[in-house]
Order: sequence, then C-alpha cells, then structure tokens
Amino acid sequence: MTDAIWLDHYPQEVAKELPEIPHHHLPSLMGEASKKYSGQKAFTQVMPNGMNGTLTYEKVDELSDHFAAYLREELGLVQGDRVAVQMPNCLSYPVVAFGILKAGCVIVNTNPLYTAPEMVHQFRDSGAKALVVIDMFADRLPEVIGKTNIETVVTVKISEFFPAVVGKVIRGVQRYWSRSLPPVEVSHTLFKDALAKGKAQASGKDYLEGIGRDSLAALQYTGGTTGVSKGAMLTHGNLVSNTIQMLQMNGKYIQEGKEIVLTALPLYHIFAFTVNLLGFYYVGARNILVPSPRPPSNLKRAFENYKVTWLTGVNTLFNALLNERWFTDRPPKHLVASAAGGMALHESVATKWQEVTGTPIVEGYGLTESSPVISFNPLGGKVKIGSIGIPVPSTLMRCVDENGKPVKQGEAGELVAKGPQIMKGYWQREDETNSTLVDGWLHTGDIGEMDEDGYFTIVDRKKDMILVSGFNVYPNQIEETIAAMDGVTEVGVIGMPDEKSGEKVAAFVVSSLQEPSREEIIAYCREHMAAYKVPSMVTFVDELPMSPIGKILRRELRDGALATASSSSDTSKGA
Amino acid sequence: MRELMILAAEEANAATVVNEFEELLLRIFVVTIMFGLGAGLTPKDFGLALRRPWGLIIGWVTQFGIMPLVTYLLIISVLLPFSSVEGIMLVALGALIMGSVPAGTTSNLFTYFSKGNLALSVTMTVNSTLWAFIMTPAALFIYSNFLGLDESLSIEFSELALVIFGLIVPVALGMFLRRLSANIGAVLELIGGALGLLFIPFLIIIWVPRNWPLLMSTEWPTYAVAIGMGLVGITAAYYLTKLFKMHPMNARTVALETGINNGPLAIAVIIAVYIDNPGIDQILLVPALYSLFIVLISTAVTLVFRRANLAAEQKIPNLL
Repeated sequence: MTDAIWLDHYPQEVAKELPEIPHHHLPSLMGEASKKYSGQKAFTQVMPNGMNGTLTYEKVDELSDHFAAYLREELGLVQGDRVAVQMPNCLSYPVVAFGILKAGCVIVNTNPLYTAPEMVHQFRDSGAKALVVIDMFADRLPEVIGKTNIETVVTVKISEFFPAVVGKVIRGVQRYWSRSLPPVEVSHTLFKDALAKGKAQASGKDYLEGIGRDSLAALQYTGGTTGVSKGAMLTHGNLVSNTIQMLQMNGKYIQEGKEIVLTALPLYHIFAFTVNLLGFYYVGARNILVPSPRPPSNLKRAFENYKVTWLTGVNTLFNALLNERWFTDRPPKHLVASAAGGMALHESVATKWQEVTGTPIVEGYGLTESSPVISFNPLGGKVKIGSIGIPVPSTLMRCVDENGKPVKQGEAGELVAKGPQIMKGYWQREDETNSTLVDGWLHTGDIGEMDEDGYFTIVDRKKDMILVSGFNVYPNQIEETIAAMDGVTEVGVIGMPDEKSGEKVAAFVVSSLQEPSREEIIAYCREHMAAYKVPSMVTFVDELPMSPIGKILRRELRDGALATASSSSDTSKGA
Repeated sequence: MRELMILAAEEANAATVVNEFEELLLRIFVVTIMFGLGAGLTPKDFGLALRRPWGLIIGWVTQFGIMPLVTYLLIISVLLPFSSVEGIMLVALGALIMGSVPAGTTSNLFTYFSKGNLALSVTMTVNSTLWAFIMTPAALFIYSNFLGLDESLSIEFSELALVIFGLIVPVALGMFLRRLSANIGAVLELIGGALGLLFIPFLIIIWVPRNWPLLMSTEWPTYAVAIGMGLVGITAAYYLTKLFKMHPMNARTVALETGINNGPLAIAVIIAVYIDNPGIDQILLVPALYSLFIVLISTAVTLVFRRANLAAEQKIPNLL
C-alpha cells in the first residue's frame, strides 16, 4: 500500500485526520450556520445588468423549513423520496435544496438544458415523485411528465425573492422583450404558493428522525459523457465529510463570516454544490449567484458591485475571464484565492491567472462519485501548478496497474481513492457499482502519477488514451501544449483510426483569428514533444462540443470527426 | 434640440407650432437617457479612460482633424461644383460650422447601444467640448479662408459650459444612485436605454412632417454634404483607429464620437452669431439636415457594430 507521504506537506493548521464531526446529517450542519450567522447575507443573485436579490441566513432557514413542510405535509412525501431540481443558480435553489434535505428526501440535481429524452431517463431512473423546475424551461414538460413517476411540478421564477419592483421589471423583460417564458402546459404549483402552503402546515415536526450518516442525501447523475447516465448515491455522511475536508484543506484562507464567493458554476453540478453551497454556507460566507456566466461579460456587474474574495471555477471559466478586457484591466481587488476543479487546469491559464490577479489559484480533483473533492493543493503549503495536489484529510489515494496492484512512485497508473466522501454506489446498478468500487477503493478511470512529495498529476482519462504505433499518447499533454500558443482559444485532441499506425493524433483548434496556422501548430508541437505525439491532423473549428461545465467531450468530437471523414471519403469515391 | 424649434418656426404655420412642449419632452428624454447611461458606469471606468489616454488623444485628433477636413472636402468636391442655388457659400459656411463643433450626448447614446466604451465616450465628449473653445473657431478660420470666406466666430464659453453641465450632472447622479443601490442603477439604466430607443423614432416623427417642404426643396449636393459628413467621418475615424490597433470597443467609440457632432450646439452658435444675417436660413440648412440624418446613419452603423461585437464575443460552453 502506498504510504501517505503527502502528510508531510500538510500545512500546520490542517489536521491530518478529520476531526470528530458532531453533525450526522446536512440539515444539522447547515442549521449550525443558520443560527450562527442568522442576520448575515447568505445568497445574492446577480443578473447580468446588476439587478439583484438577497436572502439572509435566517430567511433561507425559515423558507426551507416551509418547503420541507410542503413536501411532507402537503404532498405527503416520505423519507427517502426523490425530488428532482432543475434550475440555474438563483435564490430559490438553496431554499429548495435545503428544504428537500430537511424533509428527509433525496435531491436529484438535473441540468436545466437537458433535452426531453435526457430528462425522461433521469426522472424515471431516479423515480422522482416531484419536480421543482424553472419556468423558463418548462416547455419540455408535456412530453416528459407522462413518462415518469412525477406527481407534482413546482415552478420557480428566476426573480423569486427579488425586491418587488425589480422582480416585476425582470418578469416584464422576460415576457415581452426576450420572450423567454413559454406557457407551462402541465398542472403545476407556483413556488410561492407551495411555500405558503408549507408555512400554513409547518408544525415543527422532526422529519429527520432516523436520518443518519448512511442515509441517502443526493442522487447525482454522472457518466453522461461515457454512455448511459447513472445516479451516484451520495449520503449525508459523504457530503458532510467532504464539506469539512474541503474547508480543512483551505485552512485559514477561508475566514468565518467574512468571505464573498462568486458562484458562476451551476449549483446542480457537484463541485459548486459541495464547495459553494454547502462549504461556503457553513462558514458564513455570502454566495454571489450568477444564473449564467455565458457570455462571460455576464459576470462584469457581479465583480463590479461586490467585493469578491473567492472564486471557484473550471479551466474554461478562468480562461474566458482572462480573455475579457474588463477583467484584466481591473482584476478583482479583494480576491484572496481561487479554486479550480472539474477538469484539468492548464498551466498556461494558472500562470496567467496568478499574474493578472496577483492571487493564488489552486487545483483540486474529484469525481461526482466522491462528493467530489479527493485532493487539493494546500493553499497554506506547497502549491504545485499542473498538479491536482495531495489527498484531503482522511483520504487515501494511489495509482494502480491493471490488476489493481499499486505501481511504483513516479509511474503512471489508474488513480484509486478511499475515504468518507466516496459514494455508496450507483443507484440500482449493482454491476457498475462493483466494477467501480473495489474493496472500498473508488476506481476513477483517470491515469495519474505521484511524485516524490506525494503530489498527484493526472496524465489523462484511461479511455481517451491514443495508441500510436504502440506508444501511449495522452491527449491532455498535446492539448496543453497547443493551448499555450498565442491565438489559440480552445483545443481538443482525439485519436483517429489510421491504417499505418493504428491510431493517429488529431487536433481540433478554436482560434478567433485563424492564427497560428496549421503548419505553425505542427512546427510548435515538433519543438515541444516527441515526434509520435505530434498531431498528423489539425482542423480549425468554430467551437468544440463541451459538457455543461466546459469539459471537452472527446467522444462527441470523435464521433463527429469520424462521420465527417466517412462522408468526405464517400464524396471522393463518388467523384 | 433647438433646431427643431427654429425650423418649425420657419417652415410651419405659426398657429400649428406647439413645440415648446416637444422641446421640453426632448430635454427630459436626453437628461433621463444620460442619467440611465451614468447608472451603468463606475468611477473606475473613467479612471481607466484617463489612465490610457491614447483613446482620448486619437479622439481629439479625429474630432478636430478629420471632421472639418471631411466637411471641407465635401464642400469643394460636391457642393460647390454641383449646386446651382444662390447663396451657396452660406450653406457651405453652415456645413463648416457643423463640422467644427465637438461631439454631444447623441454619440454617448449610440456608443452605449454599439457596446462601445461608454466611459471613454463621455470623457471624449467632455474633452472635445472643452477644446471647442479654441479648436472650433480655429478650424472654421482655416477652412473658411480656404473657401475664400472671411469668417471668424467665437463661441461663448457659457454655451460650452451648459453642454458639459448637462452631460456631467445626470451622469454623475446616475453613478451615485447606482452606488447607493445596484437595483436602482439597473432599473434606471433600463429606462434610459428604452427611452434612447424611443428617442430615434420620436425625433423623426416630429421632425420630418414639419420640415417636409424643406426636405423637398433641398438639392442633392446639400444632402450629399449633410449625410456624407457623418458617414465619411465615422468610416475614416474607424479605419484610423484600426491603424493604431485600438481595441475594437474603443475603435467603435472613437468612430461614433468623431462622426456624431453636437447639432444643437452648432445651431445655437449660428443663431448667436448670425441672427442679424438675412441668409441665416441657408446657414442653418446643413446643421438641420445633419441633425436628422446623423440619427439614421448612427442607427445603421450601430447595427453593423453590434453584429461585429456579437461575432467577436467569446463562445464558452453552456455553463447554465
């Protein structure tokens, strides 16, 4: 077994093992913060034009109590029932999420941009009985609801809990200018009515009797990029532990009751769910919720109007901000640090970020299946750019070979991890659970290496590896190299079938200026990499297929490229 | 907006003139728009415009270098050779004055709609208005000499002060209110923008019918000058900024700022100086036409700029 050599690199204030946590479920953890910071601002939702609404800790606590009462008393749901939530970042989200958890029910986060078939799959698979959905996306419901177990639909407005006049203005703009309010054609309850019903029936009953660390808190769907989407069963214990683990690792850089964190990543994604919603709430921070960071100029007013001290994001978001002139001209003055996860943080982006903002950016690593944080660079210790850091407290991590045997330090192998944050399994999928959780070790499907300090580096996804004449080529390295060139906005690298070498390296480049040229890119790669890794195919594209948080979907890229290749060869045959 | 009154008074039957009310309405429009635009700005925006004075300097050069020159070239190449009207030199004089005055609030509005650099636009307007005290008479002196006219004029500083005051006060107030509450600021900005949109058709509706006889009796060379000034001014300034490799946002700003001159100021100056001149109608002709057409030209240019801006916007994946 790998020795936990990384423990030597824990900053002094970071405990090597998680301390005893008095909270056995999330509502208890959140409740502590709600009491401690009751009068403070908990969430502020900021629209692209600066319009905003705010909820205090006290209000979030009270409203989520009402929603819990609505679910249990009015709808008659019982402990363990699944409730699907489908909305962008907005003030309703924490009320709904905490309400579901307080009711002892299970939250099923759902991407609002899902198509009808994707929604049907997720709702059926989870067996959700109720759905809380943003009204802007309710037009898909008629073809969805009938195919699922959903009995109740609650619709929320994007401007929920805003000051009355401002809320009306936003509503008016949505209705008459942007025309983004389709009629809701299924029977539904307005969120404010649901809250009123809950309030009327609230009896102070304890809906959480019997709920403990092992009880299910969330079904978090994942694997949409690899095939069929499956629900990771995250327990209260998983999420409580991971919240504390994440906070522990950042030590004194997160100050209780003082932070303002910008939440541009969607809360329905596990990274923002645990880190921003749970973690920063627990320490009394003010969450600035941005409904959509697309285009990135949507974040301008949020940065102008609030003294943002923390930012969480993915490589795509940091890179996008660094390409915005308003951001680089006036980087946020009060920023303390930024945390990156979700996908590999490119070294070029990390370096530029530190230059522009003058603050550190630390990369962490995790999976939906691990709630998600497994490792982080310790802010108070040695931060290694390009590395995913060291395991968080009470977590073990190692690289193993195909037979599950640990490899030597410095050698590449599949990353596996063990700790209190690792999921219980996949919802109703025993086979997949057994192949992913082996003796308590989560097999991540990522190839990594550990250096002499115990810091881990991701080499690539196991399944994305390209085999060129028997040599292992990892697309990440090539992407990173090309992305560092001036003029390149995004790049995706995949393997394509090749008669001579089995597979060949193909790069798809997004560049607004059409420079550097194909020849320049290849020449640059020749300079920086072994010859077999140099792409033999460079294609300029307008955009790359990406997951909701900006991970390049290599599978889709490959499918698209193969389709194009076969159709063009057909044409050439025809001609 | 004074031109509306003057022309209306001249062209329309005295009994139908009701434009004191309209003028008041337009003033309220302009102040509310500037108020709303101000609510979208922060002091830091101005700090940046001043910290990087290149935009301001290039803008100064295009404002007082390009516009009077473009006007002069249009006069000698189109107006004088092709026009047969008596008193054409007076029309030319009016055009020169129009070309030599600084920018006004209209340019700020169109910069806002074009997603340009509003702080730079406002700063440039203030800057060029201050400089107008020297530069407008100087430009007029030079080019009227070239035309063989012996004209000189001076601008009352109070006229300029009024322009600056009318610009700075609402903008500062808007900024202050936004600081007080981001919500109030955003609502004001929305109202200002909406009024700005209404402002364009409103101006056309009250201008065109009342001045129909004037529009019908004007010869094409005069139109060519009144329309060409704005169009050529914007285009020339835009390509000049490209030469200096300015950021597209600032390039759009400088272009609009250069091509859109302060029509009301030109008219006020003409009335103050030439009120006793029997040919004042002819002097006012180009400024009056320019004031109408610049709104149409700027709307078209704004649509082009917006499309370019959208194309250049970063495409990031759906993070929603």
